[in-house]
Amino acid sequence: MLKEKGQVKFEEKWPYMRPVVLKLLKQEPVSQPEWQELFYSVHLVCLWDEKGPAKIRDHLHEDIVQFIKQAQVRVLAQREEQALLKAYIAEWRKFFTQCNYLPTPFRQLESALQGKSASGTASVQASGTKKNQHDDSIVRKLMLDSWNESIFSDIKHRLQDSAMKLVQAERNGEAFDSQLVIGVRESYVNLCSNTEDKMQIYRENFEAAYIQSTETFYRLKAPEQLTINGVQAYMKYADNKLREEEARAQRYLEAGSNGVIQCCVKVLVGNALSAILAECAPLIRGGETDRLHLMFRLLERVPDGVLPMLRELESHITSAGLADMVAAADIITQDSEKYVERLLELFRKFSGLVKDAFSDDPRFLTARDKAFKTVVNDTTVFRLELGTGKNSGTKVVAPESKCPELLANYCDMLLRRTPLSKRLTSEEIELRLRDVLLVLKYVANKDVFMRYHKAHLTRRLILDASADSEKEEDMVEWLREVGMPADYVNKLARMFQDIKVSEDLNGQFRASTARHDAINIKILNAGAWARGSERVTVSLPLELEDYIPEIEEFYKKKHSGRKLQWYHHMSNGTITFANSVGRFDLDVTTFQMAVLFAWNQRPLERISYENLRLATELPDAELRRTLWSLVAFPKLKRQLLLFQPTASAPKDFMEHTVFWINQDFALVKNGKLQKRGKINLIGRLQLSTERSQLEDNQSIVQLRILRTQEAIIKILKMRKRISNGALQAELVDILKNMFLPSKKMIKEQLEWLIEHKYMKRDDDDINTFIYMA
Amino acid sequence: MSEDPENVEKMEGDSAKPDRMFTLKKWNAVAMWSWDVECDTCAICRVQVMDACLRCQAESKRDFYGKQDCVVVWGECNHSFHYCCMSLWVKQNNRCPLCQQEWSIQRMGK
Ligand SMILES: [Zn+2]
Ligand SMILES: [Zn+2]
Ligand SMILES: [Zn+2]
Repeated sequence: MLKEKGQVKFEEKWPYMRPVVLKLLKQEPVSQPEWQELFYSVHLVCLWDEKGPAKIRDHLHEDIVQFIKQAQVRVLAQREEQALLKAYIAEWRKFFTQCNYLPTPFRQLESALQGKSASGTASVQASGTKKNQHDDSIVRKLMLDSWNESIFSDIKHRLQDSAMKLVQAERNGEAFDSQLVIGVRESYVNLCSNTEDKMQIYRENFEAAYIQSTETFYRLKAPEQLTINGVQAYMKYADNKLREEEARAQRYLEAGSNGVIQCCVKVLVGNALSAILAECAPLIRGGETDRLHLMFRLLERVPDGVLPMLRELESHITSAGLADMVAAADIITQDSEKYVERLLELFRKFSGLVKDAFSDDPRFLTARDKAFKTVVNDTTVFRLELGTGKNSGTKVVAPESKCPELLANYCDMLLRRTPLSKRLTSEEIELRLRDVLLVLKYVANKDVFMRYHKAHLTRRLILDASADSEKEEDMVEWLREVGMPADYVNKLARMFQDIKVSEDLNGQFRASTARHDAINIKILNAGAWARGSERVTVSLPLELEDYIPEIEEFYKKKHSGRKLQWYHHMSNGTITFANSVGRFDLDVTTFQMAVLFAWNQRPLERISYENLRLATELPDAELRRTLWSLVAFPKLKRQLLLFQPTASAPKDFMEHTVFWINQDFALVKNGKLQKRGKINLIGRLQLSTERSQLEDNQSIVQLRILRTQEAIIKILKMRKRISNGALQAELVDILKNMFLPSKKMIKEQLEWLIEHKYMKRDDDDINTFIYMA
Repeated sequence: MSEDPENVEKMEGDSAKPDRMFTLKKWNAVAMWSWDVECDTCAICRVQVMDACLRCQAESKRDFYGKQDCVVVWGECNHSFHYCCMSLWVKQNNRCPLCQQEWSIQRMGK
């Protein structure tokens, strides 16, 4: 069957192939056999005729050009631009469709012509990877190149102009066939002869023109909208138009053409920036979340556009928060519950704003947090003065916010048996404690909170005053979760463990003899509870003194190698007071007991301050406080002790001031005298002795100095040498869970460490420090 | 902040009239214990003897507190250390780290 080489000539076959080619070009129906025959013919020519492939290509080219010429005539017959565009698109769509069919039968030409063909083909093969067979085929390229040369290059500007006019018309609300614009774009993309960058012509012509006309359109429209309708309406307009243009770009432009949106943003937002921003503060003030969200959406498109919004938000929260605090100063300085609730209300309000208006965008959350920090750590309404004490001479420490102290007080009210904690359910208490932790996050000096919190906890545990011991221990874990220093949290946890050990011991003590019904002992681990100098001496009433040797004896049997120190300022009890009116149970501190028992021998006598001091051996400050609690206990209509001459504060008592028991003492309830009753006179007296409070403040400052030194050494040990700036940053990071070190303190400690040869300054750069082992 | 006087309530179980104006009904006495040592820091691990030694703190972070098993030991020389620290020390060197006398236990804390 096979013929000899050269037996099938191109010239023989072409007359049969050509009609089918022409049908294909004209989109006329081609039968199955015709279509298959074409494949076979191409195959035979390529196989037998050495020059066949090139001849096929050339003849094909000729026919394609011929066909295009006819199309050109039809297109250019249209004078009017719209009609021209329509005619062009109609022809183009047909032709472009055929670009996908006609090349198929001629695929064998690819291999046959490879390398032999002159310019073009080889590089197409090389550069065009397999991503689309059509794109690479010789015939397709032939078709598209011819189309470009014969029609498109001549009229592309006219086409483009018409297309842009259509887009413009669409912007003005007129509907039209979007395929007209899309067709022009396709021509640009597909007719590009630059194989390296197929988008080049499209970008430089079509996209550029598109951007240009868009910009012209909005340059005119945008200021007009702004002047006529005002900023609020304008923002909506700009937002709508941006979305609209995004959708339009998706229709008419190639994917990845972002230029037009950038241009729209520039014209619609960038050019109106100052007008828009001027609205920001009033909207924040008015809490207009929808409008703010709109503004946020717009400004976010501009580089650094939200920065001014962040500044506005921060300054608004700060000033509103501070103003709120100042306005309520009278209440909140005295009532930690009100203070914390006020703060939380503020937080909720602005957190809500950030959520609704800015979708909790991290940048806005940060701005909110910065403002919250400012409010929480502000010292205008009230301040905590931390003195360094006499040993440090003239050093004055900047006053600090009282917030951490009030937070700790509030925690105490929730965790202790108080009217507040009784009123709330367990869930409500937990929620409020969580709120405290939320505020605590913003507190710069957490060490102050820790100090007060620990003092309150101590008081609750010693007085068995916790409302819910489970919640107490939960709170310790929550403090751990929010990042309070581990050694601090461990110490709190250790107090709980220790109080349990002590309870066991008390049980054993009570069981050891029947005589001690009246006595409970708490013998605690000094390492977990006490700071060295807190102890206050007192001469115990005999009734109490009697028990001491027995308890010590009992303890010695249980333990060895231990010494006991009595903390009478922490101990307390209940005494019964009997007078002519009736009998009353009084919960009192041991100090109060020591004072009152002085009258047991001489019930009706008047005893001078001086003699009371001799009897109790209490230090002056403690005695004054104790007496004051007995002569002026808040809310008591009839006080237990009476005195003369009058005094308006503890410091007014004089050596010869005399005190006597009020024999008419009674409790008054609903205006009626009670002959029996129980009252707790302990109040806030317990645990915080005059001296220890001062020492506490000083020890906080001392501890900060120590921690700062430790942290500096730790950093230097690791880094060996470090710049001042880097050191400060690391230092703040290490200490942030305890306190915010002041620049001044850091500087002082650096100098101290240099002086003591722990470190030195670099000889060449005084802002660099070097570790000295 | 005001601290309410714990509500005024009826007293139950009235007994006979006492002979004194003030009588003790209940006393909650508070004391702190600590090891009876001359120096409150353990010279071996540099931790306060009232706290568990470094090893014990590291080994059981969860329950070292409260547990009293990291006790103190006194030598005949009267120097004191964590028992844990000293029992490791004597494996290397049977002398007191502070005075170099031969180490022998005088007593142990409990
Ligand atoms: Zn040790
Ligand atoms: Zn140990
Ligand atoms: Zn020794």
